[in-house]
Amino acid sequence: MNGPSNQLNFDALVVGGGIAGGEAALNLASTGYKVLLVEKELSIGGKMIMLSKVFPTLDCAACITTPKVSEISRHPNITIFTSSEISSINKIAENNFEATVVRQPRYVVIEDCTACQLCEQACPVSVPDQYQYNLVGRKAAFIPFSIASPKAAAIDIENCVLCGACEKVCPTNCIDFTQEVETFQVNAKTVILATGFKLFDPLMIPRYGFGLYKNVITSMQMERELAPTRPFNTVLRPGDGKVPDKIAYVLCTGSRDATIGNPICSQICCMYSIKQAQLLMGALPMADVTIYYINIRSFGKGFDEFYQQAKGMGVNFVKGKIGKISEQGNGNLTLRYEDINEGIVKEADHDMVILSVGVLPNQDASDFFGQDELQLDPYNFIHQTDVLASPALTSIKGVFVAGTASGPMDIPDSILSAGSASSEAISYLIQE
Amino acid sequence: MEIEKGKTFKYLKEKREVSQQAKDQLKEFNRMKKSILEALKEGELTIIALSEKLNMPEPEVVYYLMSLVKYGFVATGEVDDMDEYFTYKIKQ
Ligand SMILES: Cc1cc2nc3c(=O)[nH]c(=O)nc-3n(C[C@H](O)[C@H](O)[C@H](O)COP(=O)(O)OP(=O)(O)OC[C@H]3O[C@@H](n4cnc5c(N)ncnc54)[C@H](O)[C@@H]3O)c2cc1C
Ligand code: SF4
Repeated sequence: MNGPSNQLNFDALVVGGGIAGGEAALNLASTGYKVLLVEKELSIGGKMIMLSKVFPTLDCAACITTPKVSEISRHPNITIFTSSEISSINKIAENNFEATVVRQPRYVVIEDCTACQLCEQACPVSVPDQYQYNLVGRKAAFIPFSIASPKAAAIDIENCVLCGACEKVCPTNCIDFTQEVETFQVNAKTVILATGFKLFDPLMIPRYGFGLYKNVITSMQMERELAPTRPFNTVLRPGDGKVPDKIAYVLCTGSRDATIGNPICSQICCMYSIKQAQLLMGALPMADVTIYYINIRSFGKGFDEFYQQAKGMGVNFVKGKIGKISEQGNGNLTLRYEDINEGIVKEADHDMVILSVGVLPNQDASDFFGQDELQLDPYNFIHQTDVLASPALTSIKGVFVAGTASGPMDIPDSILSAGSASSEAISYLIQE
Repeated sequence: MEIEKGKTFKYLKEKREVSQQAKDQLKEFNRMKKSILEALKEGELTIIALSEKLNMPEPEVVYYLMSLVKYGFVATGEVDDMDEYFTYKIKQ
């Protein structure tokens, strides 16, 4: 199936379509360079597109992300491959990289899909919705989420029962089960790695009861519960549908903890938890929200004021280290913790617990390069070889890093980092 | 095999076997959907009441019921006097 059209030439290859990769692609494209943006998910937008509001301004995340992703999608100099991954990148010479990109079939012709959702309605299958962090179901024929880009259906072939119901109702005949895996050979003059971060999996700390106690959820699940496109009609406990009124946050879940292999601070969890606490107090005015913390890291512009604002709103801050979470018969939870100020062990009851999960490295990019070694830092993020003078440069000349692929950071810093990656890439391109 | 537009699923059906897991999941969803909609026929219920009536764990009822809300089969009713539990009813 692969013909000459599978041989492609671009000025820049950007890997990862989160806010950092998208911003870097847009900067390069607006300067006149042709960019291929490779994203492994069905939509670009990364984690940011899934958020409710953003700290410290409390702007609606979708309202910022939607125009950005639509600008990226419509830019004539940007070609986007979703459902795609890099299998290798080889540096042949300066300004000459050869990459192999593998695109999985979506079983839908994106250009012909009008996102009418008739296929979703017709599909009889229901499986956990990964874009709602499994709080609710989705169909096997589905539009990933309402602000997805491209906004087109996809078929989850692993769960599809091949009944053909979706195809029968599709008014544009855009469903195509004959699609196959495609392999592309891409030539590019520079590469930007923006593969982002992974979230810590709290199953690694069994004493917190995640997975076992249904009212212990992650901060990403709470982001979804607070978003306008939320899984439930309001904020509810997944254990029994109760509106919670005594909510606890456990900061540093999977961060600053050498016992689980991540000794560093994730930099964002204090602030996003303070943000969620404020949003919860708005959504559930009668609720008590307590944040259990080791230290509050509110280091950015406007962050300390944001922290003080949360205190002023009545969010309760307890300097305490959680030892164990246990469940009571009614689904409420008892937190056993060390009160750090008083040096004694205490217990407190809550009806819902949010684990503020940390940022872990995504090590995908280290497998891309054949001959050249992409160095990682001691925590397995992509190493910045000259962090002061050339912060986007990696150990391979002509390959740059943007956003959280180089370490934990928030959205404004990811955008700044993408700016530096794109300008360093442009300098490299014009040295040709 | 000749590929007919609008019926391309037949082409893949020849080449690929549907997994047992996918078949089981579909069965389970249909079973839950039927039981929940049947139980709601007699009137609106909270998740706790539904779970008692169906003898099913509450978290499972939450997941399937919310999926049925999303798919347009069920609507959210009123919240109780304590502002704790909503009722759910069949969407007219
Ligand atoms: C619960 C939570 C709340 C947050 N709230 C805020 C907030 O209010 N304000 C704020 O400033 N920040 C917030 N953040 C942080 C914010 O999400 C990150 O700063 C931002 O998403 C980083 O963007 P990124 O593009 O670097 O990475 P990501 O968002 O992780 O994007 C990386 C992209 O690369 C893709 N990718 C990964 N591997 C590959 C591969 N091998 N091939 C192709 N594509 C690949 C991924 O699918 C993804 O689309 C929050 C984070 C969390 C977890
Ligand atoms: S063919 Fe697959 S995706 Fe389409 S309706 Fe049937 S199960 Fe759903």
